[in-house]
Amino acid sequence: MDKEQLLAHLHDSILETDPDEAASAAQAVIDGGIDAMEAIQVASAAVTKVGDLFESGDLYLPSLMLAGEAMKRSMGILSRHLSAEQASQKKGKVVIGAISGDIHDIGKNLVATMLSVHGYEIIDLGVNVPPMEVIDAAQRENARFIALSALMTTSMPYQRDVMELLTEMGVRNRFYVVLGGGPVTPEYARQIGADGWGLSAVSAVKVCDRLLESNERPPVQSIFLQE
Amino acid sequence: MTLNRDRLMDVLEKAHKGPIIKQFDWDTRTIPGTIAAKLKKYGLQKTCDPANPINQDLELADRYFEAALEVATETGMLCTDTQRAIRYSRDELLAGLDAAPAAFTLGEGKEVAHFGHRSISDPVPPIWVSPLSIAVSEDVFEPLVIGIASVPEVDCLEGPSFETIWGAPLRAGSPYELLAGKMQAERFYSAISKAGRDGIGLYAVGTSPTHYGVLGGFGVPGGYKPERDIVLVLSPVEIKTSYENLMKLAHAYNCGGQTYGGSWSMIGGYAGGPEGAALSCIACTIMLYNVYQCVNGASFPYDLKTMGNCGRNALWSLGVVFQALSRNTHICANSVLNQTAGPVTECLLYESAVGMMTLSVCGTSSCTGPRTAGGKYTNYITPLEVKFAGEVFKKTAGMSLAQANEIANRLLPKYEHELGHPPKGQSFQQCYNLETLQPTDEWRKVYDTVKNDVIAAGMPLS
Repeated sequence: MDKEQLLAHLHDSILETDPDEAASAAQAVIDGGIDAMEAIQVASAAVTKVGDLFESGDLYLPSLMLAGEAMKRSMGILSRHLSAEQASQKKGKVVIGAISGDIHDIGKNLVATMLSVHGYEIIDLGVNVPPMEVIDAAQRENARFIALSALMTTSMPYQRDVMELLTEMGVRNRFYVVLGGGPVTPEYARQIGADGWGLSAVSAVKVCDRLLESNERPPVQSIFLQE
Repeated sequence: MTLNRDRLMDVLEKAHKGPIIKQFDWDTRTIPGTIAAKLKKYGLQKTCDPANPINQDLELADRYFEAALEVATETGMLCTDTQRAIRYSRDELLAGLDAAPAAFTLGEGKEVAHFGHRSISDPVPPIWVSPLSIAVSEDVFEPLVIGIASVPEVDCLEGPSFETIWGAPLRAGSPYELLAGKMQAERFYSAISKAGRDGIGLYAVGTSPTHYGVLGGFGVPGGYKPERDIVLVLSPVEIKTSYENLMKLAHAYNCGGQTYGGSWSMIGGYAGGPEGAALSCIACTIMLYNVYQCVNGASFPYDLKTMGNCGRNALWSLGVVFQALSRNTHICANSVLNQTAGPVTECLLYESAVGMMTLSVCGTSSCTGPRTAGGKYTNYITPLEVKFAGEVFKKTAGMSLAQANEIANRLLPKYEHELGHPPKGQSFQQCYNLETLQPTDEWRKVYDTVKNDVIAAGMPLS
């Protein structure tokens, strides 16, 4: 296959939500001597298209998750071949999870996938994650963001615990903290000192982008998007 | 009906010996793949008809049931703690449904609620369980429960739930939750006594996101009473269970209690569109009655985009689920209605009107609701929308599917444009006098306006 065919194969394997094929295609791209950053841009275009199809209701959550997995697998191969300068252009890691007591994963999966689609590296801690585990993971992974969802009012106090622990441990200024979930209102997010809050998965991406663009050390003036 | 020990032990055995399936594969391949295959096999693709939000084709509902039985047989229910599927043969699943009662009671004395299987357009009024476990502050709990229990249409109580316990934030899965289980029962018994509704059946435990609330509140001295109340076992999506759920089940067995099995499927979620969500809900319900031996409950669809189930696609899906269950089982199926707008808004009452009518005519035995303002805001629930929803639910019993569909089509244009961004409305304290427990004139006027409008649209509420 020539360069165009190799890149088209990578693009289509993500669009067709096939993680195994995407990994093979990414390896073939590297073996073909194609610039990794160029391939990442092609892969990103494909996964963005999947995101658009999800937003319009033409694709459903499993496809979005598989596309996210396909992107993750291909990025695992492509990112090893980025130059130091190219690698520095990546948006950074997001440690994400549904906080203690909450086993609802749809919203969290949706946000994780959309962030992944838009160039963030996702460390997904799953559901029912204790506050200290969130912070340990964020420190271990040297994350830029901590993203926490809660769909139950009885889990929201654990979001507050994360904020308090970050402060008490003297690491609050290392992480942007963004919140979401049905009962988590902008008022609550502001009250507990979060940096960002988004109504939807799409707005979560915008919130993270804006926080990055602000280039300020956390805590920052909160960014809340009701879109 | 108390739980059968052999069936319970069989469930636990299957949860530890069933086929291994990783949760990611379950969510992205097992569920969507099986649902898609059965939709295709049974010709169910693109059968959702938003122009007719209440399905009129009962043969279609029957095909959904047959397809769902195959889904349930092939997938089973995933235990997320063991990553194994609990599976039964088709015959075993049908036997499990047969073992569920066609009638049962909750409550005691003059407040006994008689649940029974209902047919399509059944003239027997269904049972109204109210409200959902919407969080309220401790000072609001008692007046709100008194207000809701004073609504004559209310047959049983589930919520509200507490935001704090003796002033401390209520943390799920912590000792606070264990304490809150019993505290909620005590506060309920006190409030219903003041409302003159001693004996009313309670769904336990609203304030129990994990199993700890149930362990702390059900069957303990002063807590919920196994002989008259019921344990809520709410399964995670999609067609999953967990140790938390199975511990609630085991605790219900230990206490000689009955179980309610509930779950949901999101339109746009793991099962796909409205057709997939409907199919998943029916399959999940089959599993709930087998795994939890429940006497009441079901899985219900709602829409990921609106986080409610009163829009056209969700109503259609909701109707098909309960038509299928009504015509093909004798269970006492319960649905949940998820409104999105808050108190003192017309949108909330129109959502309730169309949603409750749909459930009443499609054969649900009972409904739990409302989920006012999507359950998002503390203290955003009032007795008046509880009353309105109950009136519609009971008084539309016996209405034909065709008539209900016509009314739904008249009323949907009044609110469906608001579902994406529903009005928040006002809190209980803002729109009620907490001393007299009467709504403000503003809220009463909204109620009267919408009630007159739905009567004009053909609902027999007068």
